[in-house]
Order: sequence, then structure tokens, then C-alpha cells
Amino acid sequence: MPDVYNWHLGRKMTYPYPEAHPTKQFAAVFNINRCIGCQTCTGSCKATWTFSRGQEYMWWNNVETKPYGSYPQHWDVKVLQLLDEAHQAAGVQPQWDHSQASEQAPYGVYNGLTLTEASGPNEQVLGYLPAESEWRSPNFYEDTSTGYKGGAYGLSPDGASLPEHQAWFFYLMRICNHCTYPACLAACPRKAIYKREEDGIVLIDQERCRGYRKCVEACPYKKSMYRGTTQVSEKCVGCYPRVEGADPLSDGVPMETRCMAVCPGKIRLNGLVDVAEDGSWVENPKHPLYFLVRMEQIALPLYPQFGTEPNIYYIPPRWAPRPYLRQMFGPGVDHAIERYTAPSRELLAVLQLFRTTQKMIFRYEIEEGPLVREAEINGKPWQMYDDTVIGFDAKDREIVRLSVVEPLHERPMERLNSI
Amino acid sequence: MFTRSRLIVVAVCLLALGAVLANAPLVSSQGLTITAAAIEGDLPLDAPDSALWQQATAVEVPMSAQMIARPIMPETNAKAITVRALHNNAEIAFLLEWQDATRNDSTLSVDAFRDSVAIQFPLIDGQPFYCMGQQGGDVNIWHWKADWQAALIAQRSLQDIYPNIYVDQYPFADPAVETEGDIYLAAYTDLDYLTAEAVGNLLALPVHLSPVEDIVAGGFGTLTSQSLEGQNVQGYGEWSDGVWRVIFSRSLTSAEAEDVSLAPEKLYSVAFAAWDGANQERNGAKSTSQWVSFQLAGAPGTGAAATTGAAAQAPLTARVAAIQPTGFNALFWGFIALLILIPLGIGVVMLYFHLGNKP
Repeated sequence: MPDVYNWHLGRKMTYPYPEAHPTKQFAAVFNINRCIGCQTCTGSCKATWTFSRGQEYMWWNNVETKPYGSYPQHWDVKVLQLLDEAHQAAGVQPQWDHSQASEQAPYGVYNGLTLTEASGPNEQVLGYLPAESEWRSPNFYEDTSTGYKGGAYGLSPDGASLPEHQAWFFYLMRICNHCTYPACLAACPRKAIYKREEDGIVLIDQERCRGYRKCVEACPYKKSMYRGTTQVSEKCVGCYPRVEGADPLSDGVPMETRCMAVCPGKIRLNGLVDVAEDGSWVENPKHPLYFLVRMEQIALPLYPQFGTEPNIYYIPPRWAPRPYLRQMFGPGVDHAIERYTAPSRELLAVLQLFRTTQKMIFRYEIEEGPLVREAEINGKPWQMYDDTVIGFDAKDREIVRLSVVEPLHERPMERLNSI
Repeated sequence: MFTRSRLIVVAVCLLALGAVLANAPLVSSQGLTITAAAIEGDLPLDAPDSALWQQATAVEVPMSAQMIARPIMPETNAKAITVRALHNNAEIAFLLEWQDATRNDSTLSVDAFRDSVAIQFPLIDGQPFYCMGQQGGDVNIWHWKADWQAALIAQRSLQDIYPNIYVDQYPFADPAVETEGDIYLAAYTDLDYLTAEAVGNLLALPVHLSPVEDIVAGGFGTLTSQSLEGQNVQGYGEWSDGVWRVIFSRSLTSAEAEDVSLAPEKLYSVAFAAWDGANQERNGAKSTSQWVSFQLAGAPGTGAAATTGAAAQAPLTARVAAIQPTGFNALFWGFIALLILIPLGIGVVMLYFHLGNKP
């Protein structure tokens, strides 16, 4: 098998096909800290793509409550267990060497096995096929926290405080990661899955698919789903007509997907990043996604150790136990939380861009404003400035302009009850 | 004289070695030939119990797991398949029987796989690779599917497998075209909402005219359904007491380039594959045979006589399950036989020269 370079892992890994990268990559940043678990993203996806017969159980977008919730049930625990067994069989102790971090390996180097490396001689990818019952309840354990150990009636006399809450949960919002090295694509015996050259969106060819469900088995995130009424599998299509700018509302420029654009919590930022021939992101400090993922490094891939190089990046929740988060998002967690807790002047401005326009933002500019607040965070002084951030679309037209401090409008007394 | 005999010994050894390496005699060393017996009148197209099948000689074809292309499932369930064939100079029919403990004839559920069986013919002279052919060596595959068969008898809706399912409505499904008021079978006004069907994927059709899909392939991963108009293989299958019995039928000749055409008195190759849905067998995870010879008997009644190397067998249902030789075993014993036969031959040659040298 050829070797491909996976920058999440900081090393080459085995993959059935040689490297061939799209010119742009569909990517997004999800801010877990801001999610309110309202499932509007889930509903919008459902209402757009999966309302037909045979798709009843399909949630291309879902929000699950960690640590217990998962759809299909226990998907991540099961894949982690398979990987753990493979490591034990191979006598490998998987570890990240953060000391080797570099421009090409921002999280350091991972020495464990990926799913394509741990697959054994008979399969392309290590995976499992979820049983029917495991797809049954997408919201099992919704809003369920870990148990509080200590106080009577599960109450703490001191309340909860950072950096880690004792009783905790957080929402994990998931769509297809449109991976750089998709496990579903690797496993398809018919080459019916392809990654688009223009935006890196991963699609299942509905004509070539024969419903073998090898992709369902291989995708560690379980975002390929089988449709019994057509006997083929389907998956998140990245709302590609919107990304192409084909939606009438889009004015001919790429638009965010439905799940991103509807988010009331303003937790999602969707875009296209330029990809170099070697698969790395073309340096573009004024692209919000490049800035968040590569420069500030506050958004991290979900389970990078699986080796698929997923393209949805998460700002990890500040209050959850670090070992759990490191397992889920890799070794960059501590740095990401530290940066997010006391954001730099520029980061605070860029964070305002989330879910402010349906169009994808390709560039931002900042106009500096006055100092409005001084505080101490984690023992260090911190300043907040009321800067203005401006977003530009694919045609470099201004599409959004926001200040860090939200403008306050006071309703006059005589119109107190008016709407 | 001693030098000459030594040369001959070396030559014989090299020839034998060449034969072993070329692998050619080993495949046919199974010596299996399926002969389609010629009969007068209609073929038993949907009657595996028909007495007419007794006129065909049953040939048991060993099968083993596909072990070449990933994904590989080393332990597949079907170890052998019993084949009978009949023709009436216009049509051909095959009766395939194999053991399968469970009937898996629905693929509606996300973790359900079908039982199925396939016959494969080369579309070139000679034998392309026995698993799905190869580039420049296309094969014609007839693939019978248990779920297609079941749907022909009674179309099943989601309500059949999920009795408590409840959906208010399916947008763009036309309630006026519901089948017996079953929203789960209602037709769609716009096929775009059944994506695979909208793009013409044969598998996605709600109703099939035959349980057999007519397919062409030229190597791993190239399996392609023939067009809807090109679907011309009929079939019928039923399961009872742990045995599937499936009939394939088609006209002997076809004008389509992707179809095999069969003529009497000519030797063809044919291969078989079977999938056990209960074992999650699908795609390359299957039991497959090597190529075996196949011919049409010339005139009625000559079928059994023309068959050599294969004894008539009682119906599979009546036999006790015996461990069948797998493809690997056949290769192995063929190799051992060659190892014994080659020195024996050399010995005979040497003895001949030795005796010839005597004054």
C-alpha cells in the first residue's frame, strides 16, 4: 500500500491509494463551548436531505451528549476498543511525541496504528458494522452528566469551578468529516466513493453503490448510512449545491451548509480552505479557518488517531476532564483551551464571525477599536478591545461587519411592549 | 547412451515442472464437466422438484472462500454447490443447490444481508481470471438474489420489518398512489427523493421483473449491471430445510455483446459463487468455485452418457452434510499426485532405456 502524509499525525501512514489532493477542502470549526444542544442543525439537515422513505433513522447531522451519548450507540468507544486491541496484539503503546511538533506536524508525531494500519491482511480498514439496535436512539443519554462523587444528593457544597468540573457533560455535534483520507473510500470494494477535486467533499456514487456496507463498517465516525429502500448507502453530502454556489440565495458564491447556517448558538463556521499539492493548507493568515486551526490552533480534529485526517475541527469544552479530551482531540487540547480561555485580540474578533452570514467567508479584516475591559484570567492580565471584524465572500465582497461588543439598543419607555 | 537417458530425464522433469508452474492442468484436474441434458418441450423454469431434472447429471462443484482481493472472509459457509443443467435447443436452465442453514431474503434492515448465488461465463475464448474476470477478459454474471425473489412473491414494506413504525407523511410521496393504503409503499411523485433509483441504479428499483440480475465484469470492483433492457435472465429459488434450490434460465443465444451465447457440442467454462447473508457475506466475501467445463448435449437423452468424471447424486436435501473438498484441497492433492506421477514416469523411461541397453 502507498504511504500518504497525514499532518494531524505528523507522519506518513499507509492508505490504499496514493496522495491526490483537492484544490480546496470543505472544512469547519465547531465551538463546543457555545453549543446549547438545541438540535436545530439536526432538524435542518433532516428537513433538507433525509425525510424520505428508508431514511427514517438517518441523522447525517447529530448532536450527542458526551461522555455517554453516541449515535450509533457507543460508536467511538467501540472503535477505540478495536484500536486498543490491535495495539495490544502488535505490542505497541500508542503515544504522541509533542516534542517533534513542527509546521508540518502541529500536534507532534503519533506512533500508534491508524485504522488503515491496524486492519490486518483481510480488510482495508479496521472497523465494525453497527447492529440495527445501535441506530435506534440517537438521543440516548441526552443531557446526562457524569455522576458527582462526594456531596449528599449529588450536590457539591462548593459549586462547580474550572478548570475541570467534577460532574460534567458536553455536546458533540457531528457531521461527516469529509476526511482527507476517508476510511469509507478506502474500504469500498467498488470505488463507488469519491472525494471531489473542487472542494474535497466525499460522496457515494448512487449509481455504482451496491449496498455492501463496507463504508458503514469502515467509517469510524459512522457517517455512512445504509438505506434499505434503495439498497444502497448514503451519507452527508456537505450540502454541495450550496457549497457550489448553486443555491438561488447564494448569489453565485459558496454558501455554508444548512446545519452551519441555521445554528442559533452561533457555534459553527464553515468554509473552503486552499490545499497545496502536498495536502497541506496553503498559508493564508487572514482566512478565518486557517487562522483558527493552523495559527491559533484552538480548533482540533476529532479522534485524529483514527488516521483519516478529518476536516471538522472542534474547540474543546473548557470544563471537561483533560484526559478525556486528549483522547478525543489529541495532544493539542491543553493549548487550545488555554488560548480560548484568554483569547488574543485577533482571535476574539474572529470568533465573532461564526454564523453571521450564510455565505462562506474567505477573508477577514480587522479595524481596531478602543480598549473596553481589563481583567485577570488564570493569573495573567487580559485586555478586551472593541474591534470590528469584516468578512469577505469568494468574490472578495464585504458580506458581514461586526464589532466585538454587541451594540446595545435600549427600547424607549413608550414602546416597552412593542414588538 | 547413459548421457542420452540423462538428458531425457532432465527434459521430462523440466516439462513436468513447467506444467506445474503454468498451473494449467491443476484447475481442470478437478475433471468436472457439467453437461446440460437436452430435452424436448418446456424447461422446468420454476419447478426444482420437477422430474425432468433427473435427466440431468448432478455435478458437485467444490467451493472455497475468495482469498485474493480484500475484503477477505476466510470462513465462508458454502463449501460446495450441486449443479444440474437442461436445455431444449432454445433455452437453458440451471438448477443450483447448496446448503444454507438460514433463509436471508430481506435487505431492508441496516444490518441484514441477502443469500445469493451466481453463475459466471467468460465472454472471451478461454478462461479469464475465475474471480470476476480481468481486464480484457470480461465475464457475464447471472446473480440471483433471495430478496428480489421474496419481493416478487410479496413486496415487503418497512412496516413488515418494523411493525411499530410510524411516519406522518413522506414529502413528495403521493398518497393517492399508496399500495393498499400503506404509506410505506406509496409511490413518489419525484424520484429525486429515492436517489439511487433516480440515477438508474438497478438495485434501487422497487419491483424487479426477475430475481436474477444480468451483470458484466472485467476484474475486481468492476461489476456493472447491464441496462434494464439488457436484463434477460429469469430465475426462481426456494429455501427449505437448510437448502437453497435456485433455477436460472435464459435463451441459449443472445444478441448482446455483454451476454454469453451458448451452442451445442462446444466446450465452455463456467464458475459459481454463493453468499450466506447470515454470515454477512457480500461482495468479495463469498464462496467461489474455480472454472469448470460446461457443454450442451447434442440430442435428447445423451446428457447423462456424455458426462464423465462425475457420478449422479441424490438430491442435496437427502444427503448428510459431508465435509467437501475445498478448492485449496483439490489443488493440494493435485500437486501431490503430480509429485508421485512425475518420478514414476521418469522411472518408466529409465527402465525402458535400461532394458534397451541390455545385450
